[in-house]
Amino acid sequence: MTDRPATARRVSRRGLLTGGAMAAGGALAGAGALAAARPGDPGVRPAEPVPVAQVGSAVEPFHGARQSGVTTEPQAHAAFVAFTLRPGTDRAAIGRMLRLLSDDAARLTQGRPALADTEPELSVLPARLTVTFGFGPGLYAAAGLDDRRPASVAELPPFGIDRLQPRWSGGDLLLQICADDPLTVAHAQRVLVKDSRPFAVVRWVQQGFRRAAGAEPGHTQRNLFGQLDGTANPKPGTPADTAVWVTDGPDWLRDSTTLVVRRISMNLETWDLLGRTDRELAVGRRLDTGAPLTGRAEHDEPDFAALGPDGLTVIPDFSHLTRAHVTDDRQKILRRPYNYDGVPTPEGDADSGLVFASYQADIAGQFLPIQRRLAERDLLNEWTTPIGSAVFAVPPGCPEGGWIGRQLLG
Amino acid sequence: MRTRSVTALLAAVLTALLLVPATPAAAHNSLQEATPARDARLTAAPTQVTLRFLQRLNPSYTTITVSDADQRKVPTSAPAVDGATGTVTIDGPLGNGTYTVGYRVVSRDGHPVQGSYRFTVADPAAPAPSAPASPSAPASAAAAVSTGADAAGEPDASGARSGDDSPPVALLAGGTVAGLLVVAGVVLFVARRRRARRTT
Repeated sequence: MTDRPATARRVSRRGLLTGGAMAAGGALAGAGALAAARPGDPGVRPAEPVPVAQVGSAVEPFHGARQSGVTTEPQAHAAFVAFTLRPGTDRAAIGRMLRLLSDDAARLTQGRPALADTEPELSVLPARLTVTFGFGPGLYAAAGLDDRRPASVAELPPFGIDRLQPRWSGGDLLLQICADDPLTVAHAQRVLVKDSRPFAVVRWVQQGFRRAAGAEPGHTQRNLFGQLDGTANPKPGTPADTAVWVTDGPDWLRDSTTLVVRRISMNLETWDLLGRTDRELAVGRRLDTGAPLTGRAEHDEPDFAALGPDGLTVIPDFSHLTRAHVTDDRQKILRRPYNYDGVPTPEGDADSGLVFASYQADIAGQFLPIQRRLAERDLLNEWTTPIGSAVFAVPPGCPEGGWIGRQLLG
Repeated sequence: MRTRSVTALLAAVLTALLLVPATPAAAHNSLQEATPARDARLTAAPTQVTLRFLQRLNPSYTTITVSDADQRKVPTSAPAVDGATGTVTIDGPLGNGTYTVGYRVVSRDGHPVQGSYRFTVADPAAPAPSAPASPSAPASAAAAVSTGADAAGEPDASGARSGDDSPPVALLAGGTVAGLLVVAGVVLFVARRRRARRTT
C-alpha cells in the first residue's frame, strides 16, 4: 500500500536532480550519493554536490586513548541503544561480546562493512559515525567486577520532579551511535543489535536529532522550546577538559568518563501559552541570541547581582541559567543532547523532548549538584518532566586490534 | 446624593463584571493587596512589607524586595509565605524617602508575574534620609544603572509588563467585553435549555 507513494517520491526527486534544482537538503544528499556512485552521469552537476559528498565520507577515529563521540563535534543524528545482559552472560561472555561489537564499530566508523554485513552498501558512507560504549552498573555486577565500578556510576537518587518510566531507564550496556546521516545510524544500529543478540536484549532505544550537518556549523544546538542548549559547555582543548576525562588511576579508569542519559519530556502545549518575556525569565537568557538577560552575546558572563529599576534581579533566581550555572570549570558538565519528536496524539499534542546526555568525569561531583539545584527550584520544571534516567561508565578507548573494555575485563 | 449612589452602583456593577470573568479565566497570579499600600505616604517607617496575591504562593518562587531611591537594596528577611501572602521583615529602621517594593512570583500554571510599586516614608520625627545599609549595595547598584537603562529602552523588557501601574484601559475594556460576552452566553444558554426542555 505504501509502495506507490514511495516510488513516486523517488521519481520526482530524480526529476529534481536532472532539472538541476537542488534546493532541498534531502535532494542534495541524494545528489551527493549519486555523484559518488556514478560520476559520469550526465544528469548530475559536479559543482554543487561536493560538500555533501564530504559529509557522507567524513570519518571520525575509532581507535585511540579515549573513545570518540564524547568531545566529538556532535553529529546530526543519534541513537542511544541500551541493552540488558542475558542471564548467565559472565565476564568471559561480556568480553566476547565487546570484541565483536568493537570490531563492528571499528569497521563501520571507517566506512567499511562489518564482518558478514548483510547490507555492505550501507556502510560506505560513515558520515562521521561514532559508536561510544557505556557500561551500566549491571555490567560490572555480571562480570564480578563491582569493585572496579566508579562509585558514582549507580542509579541516580530520586528527584521530586522525576516521573521515570522503566521503558526509558537503566541498562547494562549502552551504545551511543551518532552520525551526520540517519541511514548510517540505522544501519550501524542494526549491525550492532544483531551481533549483541547472543549476549543481551535491547532494553530501550532513544533516537534524536539536531540540525543537519552544515546547516548551522559551530552553533550551540537548539531544543524544541527554541532555546540554545549547551552554551556553558566546557570548550574542547581548554583545561576544562579535565571536567570530562578521568586523567589518572588504573588503566581501566584513565581516559574514561561517565555518561548520564535522561529523557526529558517537554510540554509544548503549556510552553505555547507562555509569552516571550516569560520564557526568557524562566530560562534567564534571550531566546534569539542566547545571551544572558544581563548581556548582549551568547557567551557573555551572566551578572546575577544586576538589579532592574524595580529592585529585582534582572535574571530571576529561579531561572534555569541561575540554577544550572557553574563557575568552577572542573565542575562543568559536557552536555551533548539530542532532540526527540515522537508522534503527536490525534488531538495534536506533541510528544517532544530532549534526550539529555551529559559527560563528566564524576557524576557525584559534577552532575548531581547541578541536578539537585534544578530539581529544587528551576522554573523550567513547570514545562519539563524527566521520564527516563540511566548512568554509564564510558571506559577508555582501544588501540588498533584492541577492543573496548579490555582494560577492565581482559 | 442620588447621582452619587447611581455612580456607586455603576462602579459596583462594572467591578463585578470585571472580576467575575477575570478570576476563573485568567490563570495568572496577581497582587491583590499591599501593606504599605501603593503610593502610600507614611508618617512612621514600616518594619514589614506584606503582599497578598490572588493565588497561593510557592515559597521557592517568591521574591519580595525593597530598594531605596538610589535603587539600592534594603536588607530584609527572606519572604515568609503563608498561603497567598508573602511578608518580608525589614532589617533596620527605614529613613525618610521613597522606596520601591519589587515582587516576583509564579502563577499556578508556572507563569512568572512581577511588578513593583512605591511608597514614601515621611516621618516628621526623623527628618534626615538615612544612608543605605546594605554592605554589598554599591557594586550591584552600579550594575543596576546600566541594565536598568537597557530594560527601559526595550519594549519587551520586564518593566513593560509588570503590574506597577493600574490596569491599562484596553485591558479594562477587554474585561468588560468579556464580561458582557459571558452574560450574553449565559442568557443564550438558558434560553436554549428552556427551548430544549419545551420540545422534550
